[in-house]
Amino acid sequence: MGNEYIQNNRIWPEEGPARAPFWVFSDPNVYEQEQEKIFRGKAWHFLCLDVDVPNPGDCRTTTIGEVPVIVTRDENRSIHAMVNRCAHKGSLVCLKKSDNVAKLTCVYHAWTYNLAGDLESVAFRHGLHGQGGMPEGFDVRNYRLQELRVETFCSMIFGTFSEETPPIETYLGPAMMPFILRNLGRPLRVLGTHSQVIRNNWKLYAENLRDSYHATLLHTFYTTFKINRLDMSGGITLSDTGWHHISYARRARMQEDAEYSTAKVHSAQYDPSLAGPDLLRSWNEFEDGITQSIQTIFPTLCIQFTLNSLAIRFFAPRGIDETELHWVYLGYEQDTPEQTEMRVIQGNLTGAAGLVSLEDGCINEFVQRGTHRSPDVSSFLEMGGRQVASEPGSRATETAVRGFWQGYRKIMGFQKEIAA
Amino acid sequence: MSAWATEFVPLRERVEALQMAYAYRLDDLDIDAWPDFFTKTGRYVVTTRENVQASRPIGIINCVNRGMMQDRVKAFHTANIFEPHLYNHILGPAEILERSADQCRARSNFQVVRIMEHGRMDLYAAGSYRDVISVEDTGLRFQERKVVLDSCSVDILMVIPL
Repeated sequence: MGNEYIQNNRIWPEEGPARAPFWVFSDPNVYEQEQEKIFRGKAWHFLCLDVDVPNPGDCRTTTIGEVPVIVTRDENRSIHAMVNRCAHKGSLVCLKKSDNVAKLTCVYHAWTYNLAGDLESVAFRHGLHGQGGMPEGFDVRNYRLQELRVETFCSMIFGTFSEETPPIETYLGPAMMPFILRNLGRPLRVLGTHSQVIRNNWKLYAENLRDSYHATLLHTFYTTFKINRLDMSGGITLSDTGWHHISYARRARMQEDAEYSTAKVHSAQYDPSLAGPDLLRSWNEFEDGITQSIQTIFPTLCIQFTLNSLAIRFFAPRGIDETELHWVYLGYEQDTPEQTEMRVIQGNLTGAAGLVSLEDGCINEFVQRGTHRSPDVSSFLEMGGRQVASEPGSRATETAVRGFWQGYRKIMGFQKEIAA
Repeated sequence: MSAWATEFVPLRERVEALQMAYAYRLDDLDIDAWPDFFTKTGRYVVTTRENVQASRPIGIINCVNRGMMQDRVKAFHTANIFEPHLYNHILGPAEILERSADQCRARSNFQVVRIMEHGRMDLYAAGSYRDVISVEDTGLRFQERKVVLDSCSVDILMVIPL
């Protein structure tokens, strides 16, 4: 079916993942296919954290693509995910972002489900005074909230619609799992959340997260404030599939500031040009010396660690040219109050008003507006070559962007290249 | 004698004058004036109602002193990239919640319309200001200005303070 579609009217350029044809960001047919093949297809989607549903009866609403989804924890502490759509008329069943309930009851006609999504009862099933009611043979066991497969890795709850999606650990792969474990493998505490509505196709943000080339060019906060970035060494690790990536950098060992050394805290301030140096107070959290990392999991998840600022970003399409980007700022249960305070202040670096990142709110919109009437033109993604491979020595490469397109083409059926 | 009593203008009027001056300087994009509305140790926080209700400390902006605000002003001028836009603040009257000899707490509501370079206008933000205001020799200043957004979502980005 994918090939038919390609032959219909859309041909991926022969350079493969080193090009992204601009129709991919603005064609409504492509968008519909993505909903089916990616969001309701063979991929795992981040739903929420297990600390978002800590207790039996907790439920939370989210979306996979544009499909509304409920996540619950039942009486036995098992986690379930289901489509937020009543089996009767299709109404949303849960309206709140977060709640704690004994049952899930649709407000429309009071169809009531248990926390696993099984239909338990239907209002007026036997009618009133012998009149009305459901027909003979009506059996609640034939109706339920559409169930999703659920798996958890490192406190993250993932869901998928497809029976064919490989287990989450296979999906993530051996190159990705250890780094997730490094960042999320301890009891977590949510320090704050917000979201950002950006006016671009979701894939432009997926590219942007994997684009280590732009980081010091578009985001000039560090250079403006003369915070030395040239001493940072780093690289890119791709998963075997190319779908996921880690971009990492190490800041050279910073000079110990006597005032902070006793508390194992040092000032990250390289130069006095910050009027509020508290912004970059930090401590070395990991033995590996990595002080900046972005890890993406296909299609729409990112784990970010900037100094000590840990955050999960995930995003969902809200239409072909609109995307909601969610920020979940995290710390660890074991953090001291001083460590929490540093994470809180460093929160200024990222998010909707992030000193380093706020440009990402508009840059993808600039691409959307620049390209939306040029379907036959493509982007040029050859920084670092045309290959999809890890780059241990350099971040001046678009290899992770190409990795995204490699995964995208495969899952969408654009794999087959047609020579010009 | 209370510091407030040095002038005959009623407290609420003086608080609202401060809040108006703050908003209208920002609407005129006189962003350099922004940090001076705060005391040196003043705090400026933008967060959401959802974070406040859940007692979560990370919102959207968190400046714990005037220096951090000055850094944001500098970043606005020289580092950050964004499509040019303006704000138009509509302020509600201030409710004075508490007053002592040299400080008061006030709450007021606001809405902000954002005007983009090419003419598009959107209702960008609605929420409340939770202020702690100090009286200094030179006038009133914010010791803390906490901007609580009613929505959990920001449209596009936030680079001009609210």
